[in-house]
Amino acid sequence: MQEKQLKNWQKMTLVGRLFHTLGIFILKRRFGQLIALFFRTVASLFDKSHNFKSDTRNIILQTFFTGVEIVIPLFIVATLFGTVVIIEVLSLMGKMGFSDIVGNLMVVVIIRELSPILTAFLIAGRSGSSLTTYIGGMVIDSEVDALATMGINPIRYLVMPSVIGGTIATIVMNIIFSASAIGAGFIVTKGIIFITGNAPNLQLTWDYLSTEIIKALTIPDFVLAIVKPCVFGIIITINACYQALNIKRDIRLVPKATSRSVITSFLYIVFADVVLSLYYFISYLNNLNTII
Amino acid sequence: MLDEALRLEDIYLSTSELSGTLFSRPRAVSYFENIRSSESNADYQLIAGANLSLKLGETICIGGPSGKGKSAILRMIAGLARPLKGHIYYFGEYIPAERLDALEIAKRKVGYVLQNAALISNLRVVDNIALPLRYHKMGTEDEIIKKVNMAMDLMRVRNFANMFPHEISVGMQKRVAIARSWAMDPKLLLMDEPTAGLDNYNRRNLLPLIDNMRTMFKTSIIIVTHDLMMAKELDCNLVFLHKKKLTEPHSFDYWLHSDSEISKDQFRDLQSNQ
Repeated sequence: MQEKQLKNWQKMTLVGRLFHTLGIFILKRRFGQLIALFFRTVASLFDKSHNFKSDTRNIILQTFFTGVEIVIPLFIVATLFGTVVIIEVLSLMGKMGFSDIVGNLMVVVIIRELSPILTAFLIAGRSGSSLTTYIGGMVIDSEVDALATMGINPIRYLVMPSVIGGTIATIVMNIIFSASAIGAGFIVTKGIIFITGNAPNLQLTWDYLSTEIIKALTIPDFVLAIVKPCVFGIIITINACYQALNIKRDIRLVPKATSRSVITSFLYIVFADVVLSLYYFISYLNNLNTII
Repeated sequence: MLDEALRLEDIYLSTSELSGTLFSRPRAVSYFENIRSSESNADYQLIAGANLSLKLGETICIGGPSGKGKSAILRMIAGLARPLKGHIYYFGEYIPAERLDALEIAKRKVGYVLQNAALISNLRVVDNIALPLRYHKMGTEDEIIKKVNMAMDLMRVRNFANMFPHEISVGMQKRVAIARSWAMDPKLLLMDEPTAGLDNYNRRNLLPLIDNMRTMFKTSIIIVTHDLMMAKELDCNLVFLHKKKLTEPHSFDYWLHSDSEISKDQFRDLQSNQ
């Protein structure tokens, strides 16, 4: 059998051998294996042996695990960052006399960039790392092997619920981040203005801020507010699971895998953010003719 | 050959297959790496040219010094490690190397009791035993509960049904793991050191259970053990892992009175007692 395989491998045409070498080259790299794990997770959705009840329970548990416990730190971070952005933008714009693009700046800074990135960082730091430790512990205690010998696909039982639950939680957290950055950030800004006694200089009302922001919002902003956290959530959870499943039955590799999972998640998130931001750049280039 | 449970033909296994899980890397990579490394005559081969055949309802014990790859053979049969070369037949059916996978083999009703029980640590004992039954929907909820209770009674872990695995002792975890495999009605059961960590009383209770399984349910059993008296008590054949190969199966008495190198190593105490 093996001899026959080898002969087939030598019999391959030039094009076939080229594709084979390319495929193995990609699959041997970490990035290729990450993408392969993602596709295997998607494929595991269509497994014949499955249990809808346990999958649903795992997904709900994972959503709550990723989402609920991070609400308070996320709310505080969002409020403080929102305050900083509102104060900076208002003081800067007032000085330069561009007060009609306050809404635009708020949308660009908070809704487009700050909110998805910071949400993803917080979730990678908290849920991504704990996911790596959890699955890494299971690998070391050979619980993953035990699951497989019982006929339960570990990718379906462990990875798929974390990916779906983590993605749902990231989307919801992103919306909460944007809302609290603008809403609670406005209240805190008002408080700061009241304390410092600068009220006559800064004419800031909720009506003014909200109408400016709503005027500046476009449909791509809404779409990307869903797409960005979705992509980031998939990146965080797949990366965490990949790092955990790669642990080679050595307890000292768990902390290493955890820190690597968080750091590479940050890297991939920023990289994906740049790629997704190209959309705005392309639409800007398309509209360049009309502007000129 | 319909009365055949398992046949290994000319198996080569490397040590590099034993670390980590098979679920981290894409299957294609390790498959082609295996082909490449089987070409080169490497020194890291753990097992070279092992043959074994097991009839339905037969029990076999694998012995040998520790660290020579007894557990590795069981891992390979359970599909957790892929052989470099060689053919494995399950119930007369050949599974090619590119499809050899723990999930594929579990479909053929092969149960595996791991060396360190490997219970799922966030589930209670009763849920651990019921997990595969519920996941594969093997019967209604009442049937599953009945089956789980029966398995717990057989292994005497009923009193600890609502405890977590970390609250019970290692020997008890082992009994729960055996109960979990038993509840799935395996046709071929692989046991890795089932008596290690069990006291004499529970060990003596485990042996009739294994005996029952092969007579009543026609289960074929492979046991990896250092407890060679087990082979005598179960009246089954013994196979030794010697020089990276599996020897011919022979009875306990044959090994006890033979003049081979293995007998001198493994049976010295027993021979001197006589």
